[in-house]
Amino acid sequence: MQNKTKLQVRDLHKNYGKNKVLQGIDLDVKDGEVVCMIGPSGSGKSTFLRCLNKLEDPTSGTINIDGFDISDKKTNIDLVRQNIGMVFQHFNLFPHLSVIDNITLAPVDLKKVDKETAKKEALGYLDLVGLKDRADSMPAQLSGGQKQRVAIARALAMKPDIMLFDEPTSALDPEMVGDVLEVMKKLAAQGMTMIVVTHEMGFAKSVADRVIFFHDGVIKEAGTPEEIFDNPQEPETKNFLDKVLNI
Amino acid sequence: MVNCKKLIMSMISLITLASIATFAAPTKEANAATTYEIGAGPTFEPYQIEDATGGYHGTHNGFEMDILKAIAKHENFTYETKVMSFNALLQATQAGQIDAMVAGMSVTDERKAKFDFTDAYYDAGAVLAVAKDSKIKSFSDLKGKTVGLKVGTTGSQYGESVQKKYGFKVKYFNESNPMWSDVKNGGIDATIDEEVVLRYGIKNGVPLRVASKAHSTTPIAFGTKKGANPQFIKQFNSGLAWLKKSGKYQEIMDYYIGSKSKVKADSAEDRTIIGLIKKNRKFLTNALLETLKISIIGIIAATIFGVILGVMGIQNGKILPGISSTLIYIFRGLPMMVLAFFIYIGLPDVLGHKIPLFTAAIVTLMLNEGAYIGAFVKGGFEAVDKGQWEAARSLGLSYQRSLWKVIAPQGVKIMVPSFLNQFIITIKDTSVLSAIGVMELTQTGSVIISKNMEGFKVWAIIAVIYLIIITALTWLSIIVKKRMN
Repeated sequence: MQNKTKLQVRDLHKNYGKNKVLQGIDLDVKDGEVVCMIGPSGSGKSTFLRCLNKLEDPTSGTINIDGFDISDKKTNIDLVRQNIGMVFQHFNLFPHLSVIDNITLAPVDLKKVDKETAKKEALGYLDLVGLKDRADSMPAQLSGGQKQRVAIARALAMKPDIMLFDEPTSALDPEMVGDVLEVMKKLAAQGMTMIVVTHEMGFAKSVADRVIFFHDGVIKEAGTPEEIFDNPQEPETKNFLDKVLNI
Repeated sequence: MVNCKKLIMSMISLITLASIATFAAPTKEANAATTYEIGAGPTFEPYQIEDATGGYHGTHNGFEMDILKAIAKHENFTYETKVMSFNALLQATQAGQIDAMVAGMSVTDERKAKFDFTDAYYDAGAVLAVAKDSKIKSFSDLKGKTVGLKVGTTGSQYGESVQKKYGFKVKYFNESNPMWSDVKNGGIDATIDEEVVLRYGIKNGVPLRVASKAHSTTPIAFGTKKGANPQFIKQFNSGLAWLKKSGKYQEIMDYYIGSKSKVKADSAEDRTIIGLIKKNRKFLTNALLETLKISIIGIIAATIFGVILGVMGIQNGKILPGISSTLIYIFRGLPMMVLAFFIYIGLPDVLGHKIPLFTAAIVTLMLNEGAYIGAFVKGGFEAVDKGQWEAARSLGLSYQRSLWKVIAPQGVKIMVPSFLNQFIITIKDTSVLSAIGVMELTQTGSVIISKNMEGFKVWAIIAVIYLIIITALTWLSIIVKKRMN
C-alpha cells in the first residue's frame, strides 16, 4: 500500500443559515485507504461526504483531491468529479435507461469511449457486482440490492480513483445488505480508496483501515477499528456504540 | 456554457423568425396606385354577403361590394378585401392596416374628425321592429319597454335621441342577429335597426314585423383614415358618378331591395340540419381547414416557444430564469383576445407597418399557449427527482449534459399529458381569434347565422365539428399514452 495522500481536508465549515452542520473538519486520506464514518444522524457525516465532490458547497475551508483544490472556483469540478465515484443511499439509477446504458452513459459522453468498448467494459463491471445477466433489464425490474450494485458498477465505469459511499445499505431490505457489502469488500481488497458513511458496524470493523466518529459537526474520535470499537475514549463514542451494538 | 449560448442563439433566431414573418408582410407600397386593401365587415345583408371562402370574391356579394367591384373595373384599379368586425375595422383603418373600410358605415360629424369619406351611395334609415305577434304598433307604445340597439349604428343614434321622449329602456348589442333573436324570443320588446337590413332579414325568414317608417336617415359611404388616401376617394367618386349615370347603380340596388329583387329566401328544406350543412358545405369545410391549419401551426410555434421558455427557466443563474418567468407571467396573464387585438391592431400603430392576419393569429397563439407550455415544461423538469441531478453531476456530467441526457427524457414523460391537454385547449382557443376576423369555425358560424337566423341549428353543427376534432385528438392522446407505457 502506498502512502501518498489522496485527500486533504482543512478546517471545513458548512452552515445552513444559522445551523452549523460542520464546524472545522480536518482529514487526510491516503491512497488505498478505506475510511468508515460513523455517528448519530444529524452529526454531519453525510454533509461532509457530499462536500467532498461539491454536491454541497462548503462555507469555508479547503478540500484537496489529487492536488486539485476543489474549493477554488477556478477548478473545473466536472473534471474532478470524473475521478470521484459516488454511491447514494437511494441508488439514483436513471429509470429511463437500461442497466447497461446507465453504466455506459458517462464514459461514452465524457471520455469519448466508443460504444462497443464501453459496453464490453460495462459487462466486466456487472460481472464484478454479480449482475452480468441483468445488462438489458430496466432499473424498475431490479430489487433494491441489485439496483445498488448497478449503481456501484456505474460509478466504477468512470474508473475513479476514489469512491464515496453515502449510507449505501440504509435503504435496503436486510437480506439484500450482504450482497452489496460483499461487492464493497471486493473493491477494498482491490486497493480502491474508499470513504464510507455507514451504520453497518460489522463492515466498519472488518474492512475499514480507519474509523471516524462524527458528533455535532466535528470529528470526535478517530482510530483503527480496534481502537474505536474495543476501546473508545470519548463518552459520546461509548454512548453511540452502546446504542447501535446492543440492540 | 456552450449550450447556454446555443439556447440564447435559438431564442434569438426564433424571435427573428417571428419578426420576419411579422414585418416582411408583402407591402403594397410598390403598386399602391392600383391595388387597395379594403377592410370589409362580416356579412351584413344586404350590404355585404360573404361567399363560401369567407371573403367577397364572387358575384352578388351585397350591394356595397357589387358597387366597389363595378367601380374598380371602370376606374381600372384592383383591391384585396380583408374581413373583420366593425370595431376592428375602425381601428385598423386608423392604424393604417387597410386603405379604406366598407361596412354600411354612416357618415357622422364625429367620424369626420378622424375619417375622410367617399360620396354616399345610400341613405340608411332607422325603423322600429317587433315580434310578429307583438301588441306594439308604434313608438308611442314603448313606455317602460326594453328596446335593443346595435352599438354605433343609425338605429342606435336615433333610439338614444328619442329614448326620453317615449320612455323606454335600452339594451345594447354588437350584432343584429342576437338582437333580433332576443326580440323574437321575448327577451326584449322591440329593436330599432337599419331599415334595409331588417327588411332583407324579414324576407329571408326573420319572424319580425316593421312597426314604423324610416327615421333619421344618414348617408352611407366608404371611409379612409383622414388625409391618408385622397386618390382612392377621387377614383371611387368618379366611378360612382358614372355608375349612377349609366343605370348600373339602380340595377345593383334592384337586385337586393324592392319588388324587383331576385333574392330568394331559403326554403324549409334548406333549413333542416342536413340542408344547412349541404348549403354551407364549402363554408364549413374552409372553416374546418382554417381552424386545423391555425391550430397545427400555432401548436408547433407555441411548443417551440414554450420549450425554450421552460429550458431557460431551469438554467443556473438569475438572468435566463428571470426572463423566462417574466415572459410567462405577462403572456399567461393577458386575456388572449386582448393579446390578439394588441398584436393585430395595436402593434402596427407603433411599427408603422401592417401585420398579416394569419401572422397575427399565429403569434397570438405562440405567445399565449407558449407561456402555458413554458410553465409546465419548467415544472416538468423540476419535478424530476433531485437525486437524478446529483447522480448525473457526480459522474462528471456538466449541468447542460445532465439536463439533456438525464433530466429532460424523464421530464418530457411527466409533461406529455400536459402537452396533449394544451393542444386540445389550443384548438378551442382558436375560436377567440374570430375577434380579429379569422374565418375559423366560430366566425364562420356567426356569418352563416347572419344569413339565415338559424342560431340553434348552426351552433349545434359548429359545436359537433369541434367535438369531433377534440374527440379525435383525445383518442390520439390515449394511443400515445399507451405506447409510452
